[in-house]
Amino acid sequence: MATTTRAIPAYRPRVTLPPLWAIATSCLFGLLCVLNLVPVVWGILTSLKSEPDLFRFPPAIFDFTPTLANYERVIASGFLGNLQITLFYAVTTVVLTLALALPAAYAFDRFEFPFRKVLLLLVVASIPLSLGAAALLIPNYIYFTRLGITNAWFTLPLIYTANQLPMAIWIIKGTLEGVPRELDEAALIDGSGRLGILLRIILPLVRPALGAAGVLAFVGAWNEFVASSVMVDNPALRPVQPAIYNFIGYFGREWGPLTAAAMLGIIPILIIFVVLGRQIVSGLTSGSVKG
Amino acid sequence: MKKTLGIALGLAASVVSMTLATAALAQDTTIRMWTFLNPTGTAPREVALAKIISSYEAANPGTKILVEPQVWDQMTPKFLAAHANNNAPDVIWVVTDFLGDAIKSGSLADLNELFVKDWSPERLADNAGAYWNLSEVDGKQHAIFVSRNYISLMYRKDLLDAAGIDPNSFKSWDEFREAAKKLTVTDAAGNVSRYGFATAFSEQQADPSPIIPQILAAGEKLFNDDGTANFASPTGVAAMTFITDLVSKDKVSPADAVSWTVDDLFEQFAADRVAMIQGPAVRVSTLQAKLGKDKVGLAMWPGNGTAEHSPAVMAGWAVGVWSGSPVKEQAGKFVEYMLGPDGDRVWVEDGGQVPGLLSTLENMKDFIAQPGNEFLSVAAEGSAKYGWLTPIEFSVGGYRQVLNKAAQRILVEGVAVEQALKDAADEFNRQNNR
Amino acid sequence: MDQRRFPLLYVLPALAMMTLVLFSPVFYGFWFSLFRIQYGAPTNFIGLGNYARLFTDPAMGATLVRTIIFTLSSVAITTAIALCLAVWINSLKGRFAFIAQMVVILPWIISTVVATLLFRWVFLNDIGLALSLARALGLPDLHPLNDPNGAMGFLIAVSVWKRIGYALIVLLAGLKGIPEDFNEAARIAGASDWQIFTSITLPLLKTPLLLVTIVLTLSNVNTVETPLVLTGGGPGASTRILPMDVFDRAFINYDLGSATSLAVLMFAGNVLLVLAYVRLSKWKV
Repeated sequence: MATTTRAIPAYRPRVTLPPLWAIATSCLFGLLCVLNLVPVVWGILTSLKSEPDLFRFPPAIFDFTPTLANYERVIASGFLGNLQITLFYAVTTVVLTLALALPAAYAFDRFEFPFRKVLLLLVVASIPLSLGAAALLIPNYIYFTRLGITNAWFTLPLIYTANQLPMAIWIIKGTLEGVPRELDEAALIDGSGRLGILLRIILPLVRPALGAAGVLAFVGAWNEFVASSVMVDNPALRPVQPAIYNFIGYFGREWGPLTAAAMLGIIPILIIFVVLGRQIVSGLTSGSVKG
Repeated sequence: MKKTLGIALGLAASVVSMTLATAALAQDTTIRMWTFLNPTGTAPREVALAKIISSYEAANPGTKILVEPQVWDQMTPKFLAAHANNNAPDVIWVVTDFLGDAIKSGSLADLNELFVKDWSPERLADNAGAYWNLSEVDGKQHAIFVSRNYISLMYRKDLLDAAGIDPNSFKSWDEFREAAKKLTVTDAAGNVSRYGFATAFSEQQADPSPIIPQILAAGEKLFNDDGTANFASPTGVAAMTFITDLVSKDKVSPADAVSWTVDDLFEQFAADRVAMIQGPAVRVSTLQAKLGKDKVGLAMWPGNGTAEHSPAVMAGWAVGVWSGSPVKEQAGKFVEYMLGPDGDRVWVEDGGQVPGLLSTLENMKDFIAQPGNEFLSVAAEGSAKYGWLTPIEFSVGGYRQVLNKAAQRILVEGVAVEQALKDAADEFNRQNNR
Repeated sequence: MDQRRFPLLYVLPALAMMTLVLFSPVFYGFWFSLFRIQYGAPTNFIGLGNYARLFTDPAMGATLVRTIIFTLSSVAITTAIALCLAVWINSLKGRFAFIAQMVVILPWIISTVVATLLFRWVFLNDIGLALSLARALGLPDLHPLNDPNGAMGFLIAVSVWKRIGYALIVLLAGLKGIPEDFNEAARIAGASDWQIFTSITLPLLKTPLLLVTIVLTLSNVNTVETPLVLTGGGPGASTRILPMDVFDRAFINYDLGSATSLAVLMFAGNVLLVLAYVRLSKWKV
């Protein structure tokens, strides 16, 4: 179980379900396809409808004239700017998270130092904190205001990075456990410094775990709503989720632009998953979740 | 992967440098304003706000209005927290529910001192009304309303015309119920395809319960003087019985409404599924944009034999200047313009808002008389004669939610009306520490 | 540099960041909850006064029970379905396995508010797609959210639907980590598929299963958006769970004192849950 990349034989399933279960599960999957795809398809159709077609009863499924007006509205309201800044937030979060989590995970896994156990438990216990609670919104807002770090370009990346760190440290440490210590020791004898070992020996070996932690951090930053709606005010700093939510306003829910914005908002995530989807699974495999 | 990262970082850097550049270019004074409207948006009110801001900036070179759009339901609590930490925006929109809190916290500057003191008696008279009085406490004018919400009977003009019903003619709630019966349509399969009347009973986004107009019309109070709830009075019980019977006994109102939010309600209304709903004036223009100007109208609530119309609950958004603002004078000047005759006109014409000034009502007579715009005068007249504003001497947060919950319990769990109202009153008193 | 202390340098940046953004606000929140809060600002120190008000609230017990039922059911159902799907997808070949995986994770990667709104509109709203079709087929009117049990059922269903994707990814990763030789050996020894599943696969999935359980538990216990958007807590109080209660206290009643106290208690509960997990899994620290 030590290696990180293993060829998976494609010709033979590893574990199979008993036939009856397999049938039941495929039915379940069929149901899930309907439940998952229909709302998304409906969202796409809705985003292409004009106002009068939105609430016809019975609902118009295909017999309407598609229009891009909703997308034009969303883009006119500055959504591309929201996408841009969100991309900046998400990428910064990923880079910072990995840069901080890797050395921490390395130290937790390889060395004995004062308070190691306590600190590691603290990291793990802070996973619930990182889910971000709407409940503590106002005290949190006051706290961050007093520190003077609200409403700045670094506000959200800072918060998101801290949110993603516990899980990232956990995943990377899990992978490190599988990397033989002999490798470090050999390098140490060759005269490499600790930092050199980390960057030249360890880093390439834990790449899948970094990928998995990175993608999770990206998705987390991209979909975060509560902090982003409160901690920044300047419109130039507003990310996509509050911008999407803006279409569920005080004066009504505007399904057309709402779905158009939501569909634009999931495209980057979909791309990430299509490109890196396998990476996540293999990164987690080599990481924290092995048996 | 590296390349994408580079591009992303490059993009990000350009965004940040653009932001910094704008900040550096900022002119002498920047006035920060929190509202839920996004001036770069394309909704009617957003267009109106953008227009007002650009004409103000053109007339006042050296002043820039920076709108920082907020999530509307968190905006006022956040403002109060920001005030306590000396970090609030210069101009703030406050919802009626929290107006009392905002005033008592000392977060709102006295507009008398800033600009009202210079007004002519005519201009003062132009602003007079219940909304103006509500935001005047101890001789200080803490805010001026920008959005006036008259929550009464919204109807599908086309459907009522076809049935020969005039919603302004209901002398009593019984007449209203008869009309609702007439408007209810059942299809061949025995399913109701259109209901006569509906209101949304969800606690989420709750509007004030339609039992309130009946309670107030009977001369009963909704809250006692000490701020405790007075929901379970005999009038309250009768009103709640009437409203829930529309669902369970008369079958002219949908049972599904127990889980409807106001947004669901408007969507049902737009889908021809309901002929009359409890609806606010601020939503008429939005629904007209969906359905056509000739199809949506607003009427005052039915009378009750003594009063010609039962009072409607009024709500809305008031605009104030933050008491800690370093640019109070300039912020006041902008508020004065935004809610003055020029601004008011734009709000009405482009934003579909109810006029705030009596002179606007007069000057825009032709506009208001246009077919589809009658709701503006209904709301204006109703606000003046048949309206009720929630008290601000004590906080009433949660009263809409507990009354809706009571209706849900009556309809779904079969709880007796009086018991449900008593429980609602208890819950309200407990939540508000009374 | 002291050989024993230098590793601290590696963990300090991460811990400093977490202290600044995660731990300190909780302590500040706790401090804040010891005051009478007026207009969003702390005034007099009242000790545990805000907490006392929570414990005397007659609705609190039922809300807690409801939260536990909601969380346990959601977590159990999500995990069970995800486990079946993971084993099934793991046995599929190539491209189809990837497509199946993408389909399953779809709701997970859409924002909760939008996903829940769409689900409600398409499947539960009587002018939505599903109920309109049912009507057209001559079925009687359905009112899925009008019954307390039905509403709770759908709240659980939507929560499961939203979070299966996450569970699937983690369990799939766990399955791929099981060495092929184990199954091969068992098969040669004449074990049936079911025996392999229960005596080899499941025990080896212990860690991923516990990880899934704990993350799902935490995200269910803390979800505000799902009940808020789906049912608003109704009918009656039948779908009102703790996080919604906190949210309403803060933003509807503007009672930040009791809202913050309840939030602090919930955090304490969350941390206990995580520590219990660490114990249960006999995780080596």
